[in-house]
Amino acid sequence: MPIFHHPFPALGGRAEIVLAAADEAEAKRLAQLGIDEVLRIEHKYSRYRADSLIGRINAQAGGEPVELDDETLALLRFADTLHLDSEGLFDPTSGVLRRAWDFKQPRLPRPDELAPLLALIGWGRVEREGKTLRLPQAGMELDFGGFGKEYAADRAATALKAAGVRHGHVNLAGDIRVLGPKPDGQPWQIGIQHPRQPGKLIASLPLRQGGLATSGDYERYFELDGQRYCHVLNPRTGWPVRFWRSVSVVAPLTVAAGALSSLAMLKEADGLMLLQRSGLPFLAIDPDGALLRDAIH
Amino acid sequence: MAATESLGGRILAAALCLPGLAEPAHADGAPDQGLIAFKYLDYLDYQPGRERVRIRAPSLHLLLPLSSRWALGATAIHDAISGASPAFHTRAISQLQDERHAADLTLTRFFDDASLGLTAAYSNEADYRSRGLALSGSWSTEDRNRSWSAGLGLSKDVINPVTRLVVDEKKRVLDWTLGLTQVLNPRQVLQLTLGHNRARGYLNDPYKVSHERPRARHATRLLLRFNQHLEDGGQTLRWSLRHYQDSYGVRAQTAGLEFVQPLPWSFSLTPSLRLHNQRRAAFYVEVDPEAAPFATQPPEDWLQFSLDQRLSSFGARTLGLKLAWQPTPDWTADVKLEHYAQRGDWYLGSGSTGLAPFAARSWQVGLSRSF
Repeated sequence: MPIFHHPFPALGGRAEIVLAAADEAEAKRLAQLGIDEVLRIEHKYSRYRADSLIGRINAQAGGEPVELDDETLALLRFADTLHLDSEGLFDPTSGVLRRAWDFKQPRLPRPDELAPLLALIGWGRVEREGKTLRLPQAGMELDFGGFGKEYAADRAATALKAAGVRHGHVNLAGDIRVLGPKPDGQPWQIGIQHPRQPGKLIASLPLRQGGLATSGDYERYFELDGQRYCHVLNPRTGWPVRFWRSVSVVAPLTVAAGALSSLAMLKEADGLMLLQRSGLPFLAIDPDGALLRDAIH
Repeated sequence: MAATESLGGRILAAALCLPGLAEPAHADGAPDQGLIAFKYLDYLDYQPGRERVRIRAPSLHLLLPLSSRWALGATAIHDAISGASPAFHTRAISQLQDERHAADLTLTRFFDDASLGLTAAYSNEADYRSRGLALSGSWSTEDRNRSWSAGLGLSKDVINPVTRLVVDEKKRVLDWTLGLTQVLNPRQVLQLTLGHNRARGYLNDPYKVSHERPRARHATRLLLRFNQHLEDGGQTLRWSLRHYQDSYGVRAQTAGLEFVQPLPWSFSLTPSLRLHNQRRAAFYVEVDPEAAPFATQPPEDWLQFSLDQRLSSFGARTLGLKLAWQPTPDWTADVKLEHYAQRGDWYLGSGSTGLAPFAARSWQVGLSRSF
């Protein structure tokens, strides 16, 4: 069976669905099922769209509660697990910090800029009752960064599997979900971006199934006085995390891989112990550019 | 402070609760593909200077998903048995020949987190007919990290040896099993199975002399398996420990190790080693060298006695090698070779004496296709 590539723009980046099918028309029809699912999730949960559910929740902050559907409630429960397991370092309300950090310009926020934003962060303060959610204070924001894109990759894979696709993968800007090996049984070679040399790979992993997610300090950042400031922000200090250049995790589901790579970035040096205890294969690049890996060669 | 001990497992469990993400491979859902598998086994056992039993057994297995909730499985086997078997200990080897036809049919109903199966089995040879029914069930936790299984089987056999030593003798076996499978982390799985069976009726081998086994036997077995997947090169290690004991006084332990090594071009090679240690039945009569060439006489006050080598004290080891090839996800071909050797003096303790060393070799080829 030949292999077909279907690139498409989604979630602010480059996405691609790769699958084996009898012919191009069939491949296109199948890929569209995955693309539709990714776009559905983007429209529902994008923080940049005023008409998305997240857009409505954020617009209602300090106002009326918003009623949620089962899918969203399940995602919130997943966020609860990450918040608990990271002792609060993972916080779905920390997106407000982006108001102080604009990675297009090398400028550090003043302390009086950060303090009022830190006061708006607090997953524990979010009011949830039954099927409703309310952000208690105007200006608070909710977003599904750290697991939304990865969830979309898994859901697209579910849609493709249900349509009978057995060989292929979904790639959402480097977060990958593999449906099954190539038609000849060989694994897909999935490249991991080099954190310091754009366009170059630092490693290539053979994957037959499951998910791979990478979080790094190279996606959005600026450098000032020799120090790199990246987009992964600590919700307690309001400052970018330091330490890992990038962390990649392999797990049966991309959403689990993404959560672990995000938590490892947030935990900085302690992230290594977290990765080692996760029992999952990982590849991390430390501040000196050294590759630390477990069960990935 | 949140423990990070099994963080990967916890996060994965939480992720599996997200809608649409429970992996069909982990779920109890009905198989979404059918399977047809053919196997051919050639088995020969022997002692020095003498071939004993040879079995050639082709078998066919079919698995058919009927809907998303139901699946049907069926197996048919034909055994051609020929060769010779000792009438007592490892002597007085006399010819035998038989054919056995056996078939079973399993209907399985799948639920969201559970499955229930009913199996009917039938086996027939010239001197032995067996019919059985079994009920099996499994139940998994929502995160699929733990699953329980249980089975209950009943078989009724009728024995009519060609010697007419007994006529229409009956044997009934009631067997139950309880199993627990626990995913420790994405690369390690532990499985514990406890089984018990109660056999009643004619438990003798009618072709052996000086053979009077009790008409009831209770046997208990405990099996511990541990599978470890090494992500590095895709290898898998499978450990197993088995303990068996029965009311005949037999106590046996088996330790097994298998190592699956993936090779280029979709091949994999699996060497295996199994060590077995068995203590004899309480009524096993050891060989008296003075009695040769006649059978050793059991002590006069024994009501039950047996000169069957299978009930002696021995140690055994099995070496195996399997080469599998999966050129596409739908096709699998494999060939498996095994060599088994058994000696009284390999028993850990004082083993049975005076028996010829026993050995067996087998090879099996298999071909399966998913559809």
